[in-house]
Amino acid sequence: TPTSPGVAKPLYLCSPFVEAALVKGNFKHIVMLPKYADVMEWVAVNIFDFYQNLNSFYGVLAECCTSQSCPSMCAGPNLNYTWINQDRKSVQLPAPTYIDYVMTWIQNLLDDDNVFPTKSGREFSQTFPSTVKHVYRQLLRVFAHLYYAHYPQILHLRSEPHFNSLFAHFLAFGKEYELLDIKDVKGQPGVPVGIGALWERWKEMGILESPNA
Amino acid sequence: SNSNGKPADYVYFERTTAGFSDDAVPRAKGAQLKLEHFYKVAVDAAIERNQRRVELERKLAADTSMSDERKQRQLQQLGKRESAFLRLRRTKLGLEDFRTVKVIGKGAFGEVRVVQKTDTGKIYAMKTLRKDEMLKKDQLAHVRAERDVLAESNSPWVVQLYYSFQDSAYLYLIMEFLPGGDLMTMLIKYDTFSEDVTRFYIAECVLAIEAVHSLGFIHRDIKPDNILIDKDGHIKLSDFGLSTGFHKQHDSSYYQRLLESANGVASPTTQARNSVMVNAINLTMSSKDQIATWKANRRKLAYSTVGTPDYIAPEIFLQKGYGNECDYWSLGAIMFECLVGYPPFCSESTHETYHKIIQWPNYLMFPDDVHLSREAEDIIRRLITSPDRRLSVDQIKHHPFFYGVNWTGIRNIDAPFIPRLRSITDTSYFPTDELEQVPDEPVGADSAGANKDLAFLGYTFKRFSISSQAF
Ligand SMILES: Nc1ncnc2c1ncn2[C@@H]1O[C@H](COP(=O)(O)OP(=O)(O)OP(=O)(O)O)[C@@H](O)[C@H]1O
Repeated sequence: TPTSPGVAKPLYLCSPFVEAALVKGNFKHIVMLPKYADVMEWVAVNIFDFYQNLNSFYGVLAECCTSQSCPSMCAGPNLNYTWINQDRKSVQLPAPTYIDYVMTWIQNLLDDDNVFPTKSGREFSQTFPSTVKHVYRQLLRVFAHLYYAHYPQILHLRSEPHFNSLFAHFLAFGKEYELLDIKDVKGQPGVPVGIGALWERWKEMGILESPNA
Repeated sequence: SNSNGKPADYVYFERTTAGFSDDAVPRAKGAQLKLEHFYKVAVDAAIERNQRRVELERKLAADTSMSDERKQRQLQQLGKRESAFLRLRRTKLGLEDFRTVKVIGKGAFGEVRVVQKTDTGKIYAMKTLRKDEMLKKDQLAHVRAERDVLAESNSPWVVQLYYSFQDSAYLYLIMEFLPGGDLMTMLIKYDTFSEDVTRFYIAECVLAIEAVHSLGFIHRDIKPDNILIDKDGHIKLSDFGLSTGFHKQHDSSYYQRLLESANGVASPTTQARNSVMVNAINLTMSSKDQIATWKANRRKLAYSTVGTPDYIAPEIFLQKGYGNECDYWSLGAIMFECLVGYPPFCSESTHETYHKIIQWPNYLMFPDDVHLSREAEDIIRRLITSPDRRLSVDQIKHHPFFYGVNWTGIRNIDAPFIPRLRSITDTSYFPTDELEQVPDEPVGADSAGANKDLAFLGYTFKRFSISSQAF
């Protein structure tokens, strides 16, 4: 596909970086629901892990993600995510503020035994699936911003195989358990998400294959 | 692809860390290591999960007498256990989840406590290890590698490790609690064992050592303190992957210094020429007073960071390489102690002990006032000997001393001493009154030090089997 003149193809779509991976092959074995196990527990522990792992990479990149460098939570040429504040208004926030809100919100959910139960005998609530979809969507936005705005820094720190694998795993898992909306991954017409093309590329490469395929 | 074999969109990217803060690179490395560890564990866990399932499915398929309904229930139960294990991974256990019942032991890097998990009421042994001390003594690499394997072992001969967590100052290990105490405490209490009793413990130790070796490990520091007694009176080797005792003794520069100072006291040449010296030491050996002193100090030695070298094979000191047969030397020394009342090279100072072990042909003596059967003395002499002449595990099992031992069923027979326990938290088999100066509750981290010490990456560990017991 030809790119519009003057706009270079993003580095994360270029060889050799698009192929860089810590985990080779597809994610089937670690995405598949363990037979007989409870799907809620499986989703819960995976969200927990995605959060922890993404958080440790964001911790590294945070020094490059400031309100000067990223005055908005951008994830594509025309795409700035907005945050719904307490008055239910959409507001533009600098990316570091936005990400901090997201990560703090998720951490609080993970620590809340009513949402992510850990005590033995305590069940998941009815609203768990919809909560988890929200969480997934916000985590996707953090990935989307880091790819769009900070990939060169990821390369400088030689972290692209790791970061790619974490994200590919996240996508494969989200697809399998219907935690991801395709339109969140690809964006709206005219307002593409940067990582939408990456998703397409990885699908072609076969690394996002469904475990059931 | 273009002419040089690279795809058309191949990009050369000049990497540089200029413009990053000083700790960006180490932090990036840290995040990478964590992720590598994460995926390694994730893949292993998937494989193990699969094995558990396939094993159960196979077992059920082969069972023609069981009803389909019961089979279905068993599979559902497996699912419950797997789910509980997944939940456990999200569960952050910390000091606050355990209550100390009693301090029962002391090691080089911390203490061992009987603890109760507050929500379930279950009893465990909790060992604390000071991180800074371990770093100082360079214990980490060994400890981690060995823990990995032992954590996987399901051997009945190895103390089970269930869970570990950490704060900035300590590692905490939650293990199964063995209420019968250890062999050192038993030897202090009984002085010596009969040959029958000795045969039982040494035979169990042979199987335990064999099990450890089959996991690919060499213990190197088997001693009575590391041989624990379970509620039925059978032995288990303490989780030496964590017990770390041998590493500090194993530190080559430590031995180098010891060697030099020992040579300073009495050079080997003087020693060799001076037979009177040997006799003098021999006299010391059989002197009841000296042995009493050694015994009185025995526990103090166990608590010190230097540890006791009494049971360590000479080839370990000599740094010329060694194999797993070194563990059978230790076993010989323990057997000697069981029958004679003190270990073969016991001395007033560790330097002297060390010297005697190196020069073992001159110092291995069987005292006249203790009667040993021919078979017992013979097997000891075939264990406390040079590595090339030492008995192999099969030769040991066929030695006349062990005539009649049921090597496959020994764990199922009645042990000679069965602990009489009044409750699940009974600590009467531990020298709890001798453990002064130990805080009742672990102190925990004093400062809010960052949780980023990568040296300890991978220590946090949760074991599958416990989730089935509602840990
Ligand atoms: N799981 C357990 N159940 C009961 N008692 C235990 C357990 N683990 C250790 N102990 C007691 O605590 C004592 C000290 O433990 P251990 O030998 O593991 O400490 P250590 O720090 O490894 O000592 P060293 O490093 O000198 O070998 C043991 O001798 C035993 O009496």
